[in-house]
Amino acid sequence: MTAMQSPAAPTAARWRAIVTDPIFIAAAVAVAIVLVGQLVSPGFGAYSQVVGMVRVASFLGIMAIGQTIVILSGGDGIDLSVGKTATLGAIVAARIMDGSDSRLLLGILVPVLVGAVIGLVNGLGIAYLRIPPFVMTLGMTGVVAGIALAYTGGAAAGRSAPALTGLVNNRGLFDVPGVVYVWIVLIVAVTWLLRRSVAGWNIYAVGSNRVAANLSGVPVRRNVIMAYVASSVFACLGGILLLGYTESVFLNLADSYTLPTVAAVIIGGTLASGGVGGYLGTAIGALVLTFLTSLLSTMNMPESWRTITSGVVLLVLLGMYGRQRKLRT
Amino acid sequence: MASLDITGVDKRYGGVQALKGASLSVAEGEVHGLLGPNGSGKSTLNKVMAGAVRPDAATIRLDGQDLRIHGPQDAHHHRIESVYQQLSLIPHLTVAENLVLGTEAARAGWLTPKAQLVEVDAMLERLSPVLGGGIGPRTRVGSLNPGTKQLLEFAKVVLRRPRFLVLDEATASLHRDQVALLFAMVRELTAEGVGVVFVSHRMEEVLDLCDRATIIRNGLNVATVDVKDTDEQELVRLMVGDLARAAGRGERPAPSRDGQPVLSVRGLQAEGLADVSLDVHPGEIVGLGGLQGQGQSELLTGIFGASPAQAERIEVAGDPVEFRNPRSAIAAGLALVPGDRASEGLYSVRSIQENISTVTLGRRARAGLVIDARAEKEAATSQVDALRIKIGALADAVSTLSGGNAQKVVVAKWLLSEPRIVLLDDPTKGVDVGAKAEIYAIIRDLTAQGVGVILNSSDDVELAELADRVLVLYEGRIVQELEGTDVTHDNLVAAALRISDDDTKES
Amino acid sequence: MTTPPQTTVGAIRDGSWQRYLTFSLSTWVTIGLLIVVTALNVALQPTFFTTYSLTSNFATFAPLVFAAVAQAVVVIGGGLDLSIGSIVALASVVALTVMDGEPSRVAIGVLAAIVTGVIAGAINGFIVGVIRLQPLIATFATNSVFAGAALVVLPKPGGMVPSTMTTGYRSLVIGIPVSVLIVVLAIVLYWLLSRTRLMRHIRAVGGDRSAAFASLVPVVRVQMASYIVAGAFAGLAALAILANTGSGDPFVGSSMALDSIAAVVLGGIALAGGRGSGIGAVAGAIILAMVSTVLSFMGVPTTWRQLASGVIIVAAIALSVVMSRKDQR
Repeated sequence: MTAMQSPAAPTAARWRAIVTDPIFIAAAVAVAIVLVGQLVSPGFGAYSQVVGMVRVASFLGIMAIGQTIVILSGGDGIDLSVGKTATLGAIVAARIMDGSDSRLLLGILVPVLVGAVIGLVNGLGIAYLRIPPFVMTLGMTGVVAGIALAYTGGAAAGRSAPALTGLVNNRGLFDVPGVVYVWIVLIVAVTWLLRRSVAGWNIYAVGSNRVAANLSGVPVRRNVIMAYVASSVFACLGGILLLGYTESVFLNLADSYTLPTVAAVIIGGTLASGGVGGYLGTAIGALVLTFLTSLLSTMNMPESWRTITSGVVLLVLLGMYGRQRKLRT
Repeated sequence: MASLDITGVDKRYGGVQALKGASLSVAEGEVHGLLGPNGSGKSTLNKVMAGAVRPDAATIRLDGQDLRIHGPQDAHHHRIESVYQQLSLIPHLTVAENLVLGTEAARAGWLTPKAQLVEVDAMLERLSPVLGGGIGPRTRVGSLNPGTKQLLEFAKVVLRRPRFLVLDEATASLHRDQVALLFAMVRELTAEGVGVVFVSHRMEEVLDLCDRATIIRNGLNVATVDVKDTDEQELVRLMVGDLARAAGRGERPAPSRDGQPVLSVRGLQAEGLADVSLDVHPGEIVGLGGLQGQGQSELLTGIFGASPAQAERIEVAGDPVEFRNPRSAIAAGLALVPGDRASEGLYSVRSIQENISTVTLGRRARAGLVIDARAEKEAATSQVDALRIKIGALADAVSTLSGGNAQKVVVAKWLLSEPRIVLLDDPTKGVDVGAKAEIYAIIRDLTAQGVGVILNSSDDVELAELADRVLVLYEGRIVQELEGTDVTHDNLVAAALRISDDDTKES
Repeated sequence: MTTPPQTTVGAIRDGSWQRYLTFSLSTWVTIGLLIVVTALNVALQPTFFTTYSLTSNFATFAPLVFAAVAQAVVVIGGGLDLSIGSIVALASVVALTVMDGEPSRVAIGVLAAIVTGVIAGAINGFIVGVIRLQPLIATFATNSVFAGAALVVLPKPGGMVPSTMTTGYRSLVIGIPVSVLIVVLAIVLYWLLSRTRLMRHIRAVGGDRSAAFASLVPVVRVQMASYIVAGAFAGLAALAILANTGSGDPFVGSSMALDSIAAVVLGGIALAGGRGSGIGAVAGAIILAMVSTVLSFMGVPTTWRQLASGVIIVAAIALSVVMSRKDQR
C-alpha cells in the first residue's frame, strides 16, 4: 500500500497513520518486551538470546501463514485444526525420515501432501456444503487426531532427519540457525504474493466482500478452498520444522499451537472479519507472543498464568482494533 | 394542541450529509405526509424520531418539553412508535410472538401471555379480511409474503398504543384493499388524537390520507403544505424541483432496432420471475419500470448468472450462451452494476485501485498471475480521469468516497472490461444531483459506442430521461411496454399503478 | 403473491394436536439419528435398558447434556461460546476445592460451581455484548483465560469429591436412576427457561439483531444474559462431571467446546442463530455420546475409534447443516 501513497501527504497525518498501524504497535510491543526482559533479567536481550527466541517463533510464524490467509479470506474464516494438522505432519515426517537424510525429501513431501488433502476436505466442506469454518475445522480436528492415533497405533515412532535437525538447531551465518532464514524467505514470499499476485488480490477481494467478488467474476469458492489448503500445508510444514527442533515426536506435539496462530494473526492487525491485513503483521505477532512467553517463563511464571496472560493480551489487542459495529449509528 | 416537533436535524454518514437542519412538526390528530425523492433523508429523519439513528444534532420536543431519545426504548417510553421501511419482524418467531415483541407481559421474568393474546387475536380478527388464509397467532412469520408481513408490522406498532405513529413506506407492498384497511385504522387512531407521520411513494395515497405534508430534498426542508390546497403536480414539482423536470430527455438519436439484438433473452424463469423475454439492441437503453420489488433486480441478476435462473435461450449477438455464474457472463461481455453498492458492488475496506482492477486483473497481469503495478495504476488512473472520480489517492480505501464517487468506481471497474451489454440496477440511488448527471452522461457514452444497456431504476424521472423503451414489471412479469415518446414520467407512474389496481380484483 | 398457498402451517388448525407433530426437516434429522443410534445400541448391547446400564450411560452423558444446553442458549442468541469447556473445568475445580471432600459442604459446592459459571459467563457476555468483539475469537481467547485459571486453582488432577455426591449420582429414586433424572432436569430447566421473556428475547436477537433492536428488545443486555445463562448451565455440567468421576481435573473440559457445538448442530439448532431448542441439543448430546458407545461395542479397535467417531461426527454435522439450510427456504 505504501508504494501508492501520495507523496504530498501531510507529514503529521502520515505519522499518525504509521503510529496507529497495528504492525507498528505490534513491533513496538515486541521491542518493549525485550527491553523489559533485559531489565528484569539481564541477558534476556542479548543477541544470542534474541536469536534463540526468533528461532522458536519461526515454528509458530510458519504455521500462522495459512491462518493469515484463511482469516483474510473472510466469511468468518478460521482454521481450528492447524495444531492437530501440524502434529500429524510431524508424526508422518518422523516415520518416513526415521533418522535418515536420504529420506528427507520424501519426509517433507508426503506430510505436505497429507496436509493438502486435509485442507481440501476443510475447504470443500466450507465452500460447497457451507459448513461454518469453525465447525468444519473443529470437526476435522477430531478426524485428524483419529488419523494420527490410527496411524501410530498410540505410540509415535521415528526420528527427524539429521539435516532437518541441523537446519533448526545449528547456527549458521551471523550465528543464526537456518530455520530463521527459511522463515525470512517465507515472510518475503508470502507478503509479496499477497500484495503483488492476482491470487493475493483475489483473496483480499473475497475476504472483504464475497458477493461483490462473485459479481466481479472472482472465483470465490476456488479461493476459499485454496486458503484452507494453504493453511493445512503450512501447518504441516511448521510441524515438520518443529520435529527438527524436538527430533522425536509425541501425539500432541503441536496441538497447543492453534490459539497462538490465531492470536498472532490478530495481533498483527489482520481484521478478524477478513479483507484487511497481511503476513508481515502476523510474523511480528508471532514474535510478540514468543517473546512474551519467554519473558513470563524467565520470570518463573507458571504455565497457568502464561495461558491466562496470552488470552488477556489477545483480548486487549482485539479490543484496540477489532471492535464490531454499533447497533445505533 | 399537543404536537411533536423535531428541528435542526443534522446527520452525516461518512462522506454524505443525509440531513442538514431538517425539521418536522406533527400535531395530534393529524396525518402528516413526509415527501421527498429517494435519498432525500426521509427515512433518516424518521429513524432519528424513533431513536434508531443517532443524529449529529437535533432538538425533539413533545408538548413543548425537550425530549432525549437515545434508543428505540426511549421513543417507546414517550409512546412514539415507528414502522420502519425495513421490516423488523423476526422470521423464526410466530405472529403472536412478533406482535408483542419487546412489550411482552411478564411477571418476574415469566411470560404471562393470556391477556395479550386476547388483544393479538382481536387485532388479527380485524385484519383477517385482507390478511390471507391460514394465518393465525402461531404461524411463523418467515414464510409469509411481503404484504402480510408489512401489515403485521403495522399491527405490532398499533398494539403498542402510540401517541405518535411514524409509517415509513408502510404501504409499499400492500394491495389496495389492504391499504384501505390500514387507512381506516389510521383514521380511527387520528380520531382518538394520535398524530401520524406518513411516508409513501404513491402520491394518491398521500393526497387521500394526509392533512398536511412536509417536503424535503437533499436533507433540507422545501415546504410544508396543506394537502387539500394542493395537487399532485404541485407536490411532484416541490419534490423533484424545477431543474430535474426541465432537463427532459437527452438529445440522443433513437437507436436502430432492425439489426441483430446484442442480447436476447427468452423464457427466463427464476424466483420472483415468470417467463420473461426481452431483446436489447446495440446502443439501446431498455428501462425496467413498475413499482419497486416486482422482479427487476432478479431479472438482472438472473441474466448475469448471479442467481439461480433457467432460460429457454439466451443469446449474445446471436451466439447462444449459458451463464452458470457471473464469470461466464463477464467473459461473454456482460457487466452488472448491482443495486446495493455497499454490499454487492464494492470492497469497501480495500483501496480504490483494487476495486477498479478487480474484474480485469487477470487480463493485465504477467502470465495471468503476477501483477504489473504500473499497468494497474495506469488503468485505474485512466478511469478516474475519464469518469472524473474525485479521490485522494488510489491507495485510499473506497469507503472514504461519497456515494456518487463510489458508484463511479463501480462503473469504472466495468468499463475496463469493455462490455457489450451493461446491466444497471438503480445506478443513481443515493447519488447527489451532480454525480447523477455525470453517470447519465457515461451511460449515453456507452450507447454511442454501441453498448446495449438495461436500466432498472426506482426513479421514474430517470427512466423517462434515459430509456428508449421501458418494460413495466409486475410480480415478475413484463406487463406493459412503453416506447419512444410514450416513455414519460406520467405514463410510467400510471403504468405502475394501474396494474396494481387490476390485481386487487383477483385477490 | 396475492393469496398465499395453503401451507401445512395454515392447513392444520391452531391448537390442534397435529401441530406438535409438524417438525422441520432438521428436527427430523435429529429424531432419525437418535433412533438409529439407540437401535444400534440396543442391538449391540442387549442389556441397554437395564437400570445398571442406564445409570452408567446417563451418568456419562449428563455433563455433555448440560454443556450442550449451555451452548444452545448462546447459539440461539446468535453467539457462540468456545470457552464452555474451560468454564466447566474452572467451575469443577472451584467446587472441588470449596467442598474439600466434606459431605456437609456439598450445597456450598453446588453454589460455588454455578456462581463460577455465572461470573465466567458474565465476562464473556461483557466482552461480546458491550466491548463488541467477535464471539468466535473473543471466547477463544477467554477459553485460555479460564483454562489457565482452572490450572491456578488445581494445578494437577486430584482431590476427592464428597462421597455423597458420587454415590447419590449413581443411585435410584423410586426405581429411576438419578443420572436419568438429572438429564430430565436439564430438559425441564430449558423448558422453564423457554417460558421466560429473556429466552424469547434471546431468540429474537439471534434471529435478527437489528430487527430486535428496532422492536424494543434490549439487545446488549440480552446478549450478556445469554452468556450468563450458559455459564450457569456450564456450572451444572461441572457438578455432573465431579459426581461422575469422583475427583478433580483441570483439563476435564478440553473436548467440550467441540462436543457441545456438535451436539447443538446435531440437535437441529441453526448456527446462524434464532432457531432451534435446547431440548434438541440434549438429543444431540445423547446422539454424540451413544456414537462412541456403539463404536466400542462394535469392536472397533481403540486406535481406530477416534477416527471413526470423528468421521461420523463430521458427516452428521454436514447433514444437519445442509438440512437446516433447507428449512430456511
